[in-house]
Amino acid sequence: MWQVTPAGDRGLLVTLGHTIDPALLGQVLALDKALADRRPSGLISTVPAYASLLCHYDAGVTDTARLQASILELEGHLDVALALGSVLDVPTRYDGPDLAGVALATNLTPAGVIEMHAGREYLVYCVGFAPGFTYCGALPDQLSLPRLASPRLRVSAGSIGIAGRQTGIYAVESPGGWHLIGRTALQLFDPAADPPARFKPGDRLRFIPTS
Amino acid sequence: MIEVVDAGRWTTVQDRGRPGLERFGLPPGGAADWFAAAVANRIVGNPQDAAILECTATGPTLRFSAAAVVALAGGHSTRAANWQPIPIAQGASLTVGTIAPGLRSYIAVRGGIDVPPVLGSRSFCQRGSFGGGFGRPLQRGDALAVGRLGDRDPLSAPWPESHRLPARGPWEVRVIPGPQLDAFAGDALQRLTATACRVTPEIDRMGLRLATPGLRLQSHEIVTVPMTAGAIQVTPSGGLIVLHVDHQSTGGYPAIATVITADLALLAQARPGDTVRFRNVDPTEAARAWRRLTGWLELDP
Repeated sequence: MWQVTPAGDRGLLVTLGHTIDPALLGQVLALDKALADRRPSGLISTVPAYASLLCHYDAGVTDTARLQASILELEGHLDVALALGSVLDVPTRYDGPDLAGVALATNLTPAGVIEMHAGREYLVYCVGFAPGFTYCGALPDQLSLPRLASPRLRVSAGSIGIAGRQTGIYAVESPGGWHLIGRTALQLFDPAADPPARFKPGDRLRFIPTS
Repeated sequence: MIEVVDAGRWTTVQDRGRPGLERFGLPPGGAADWFAAAVANRIVGNPQDAAILECTATGPTLRFSAAAVVALAGGHSTRAANWQPIPIAQGASLTVGTIAPGLRSYIAVRGGIDVPPVLGSRSFCQRGSFGGGFGRPLQRGDALAVGRLGDRDPLSAPWPESHRLPARGPWEVRVIPGPQLDAFAGDALQRLTATACRVTPEIDRMGLRLATPGLRLQSHEIVTVPMTAGAIQVTPSGGLIVLHVDHQSTGGYPAIATVITADLALLAQARPGDTVRFRNVDPTEAARAWRRLTGWLELDP
């Protein structure tokens, strides 16, 4: 059951589920596309993330009841198969300040952490938090660690971190509480580019170790 | 041109921001006190999307190489006239000084501040280090061009006091429950609205941390969700973060309620130590509050 709740006086949040699951992301992206195609009156923009979709609307044109009805009539009528695009390579130098600590906490060698992190394909679940920040999953269970007890005030652009069953790429300098294991020279956010973010939810990527 | 003689504490170019790009991780941005910025533009005869200067705590000193008409609105400048057109002679200066009561004062210049738009807006985006002309707050020695956006006559009298928002707390801030209300116990919102919250020193355009003396809310964890300005996030320690215009586009702490758009302007003026009380309203009252303020902007006082 989708749940539609007000997010202030200009937003409706559609919650499709409560887990990190490729099938749920597929539903979110299918709903996003269906709304983009149908353009219900008053809908201004949408924001997908993991298992939910935020709909910003013009309160002078529509109201929550009407927009909610346009959203809910799509439930059960979407093609939810995730379109599988090509896999993008993210060249990665595994020299992050937390690599040794992650190895210690996971009973692996640093080389083992690298092999495990780089050894699979990831799905992009969300671009959010900060400009271009790319949330990917799922990390192997063995690499799953709680966030840092005390977040760093500055994490440099290009840093690659892990937290829980997620791995992510910091596209711009920001604070951050993830364990930093590497970095990439790939530019993930460019305000002069269209679109400004390199990745979008549903993309797939792979970390390629470089020296 | 306008020369920045002294930049003040944190002065940035802002307009109505760049909403709609949250899916790329961008905040909507724009003037934190959207109402004061709109009034300042109205006083000098600018359209509402003209870029203005947002001054924080201590404003700048500016020298004008050509005659200009400016206006200050919002937090109270202790050195310049507030809420009225100020004619500036060629070569003359404007000093804003300390801002109190209130936290943010908006300087509109007839014609608008003309810096190159980035992603559809002239607003400085701190998290992305772009926009606002320099990709940073103003510094001494910066030069700002003035545009040609003035499409109405400047007002001839001060903006009426009856059509201003309060500049000092205690603040009554209206909220709509949710979107993650069900991550909390059934009486949580009622307990929150019964609490006098206190603004901590940790406040900026991204959000305001509030303390809730005598109240420690608890929630269950949620999967990262998209966030809006006004979302009242409850952190694991039980404190609140009220997201503002430069908020993170997604968040992992549940939002118990969301501040209505009209009252985001109030929070932009809140200072550390101020008291904030939240009041639960429905969308009809939120819409009425919005129409009241936009109605004031359409007046011809």
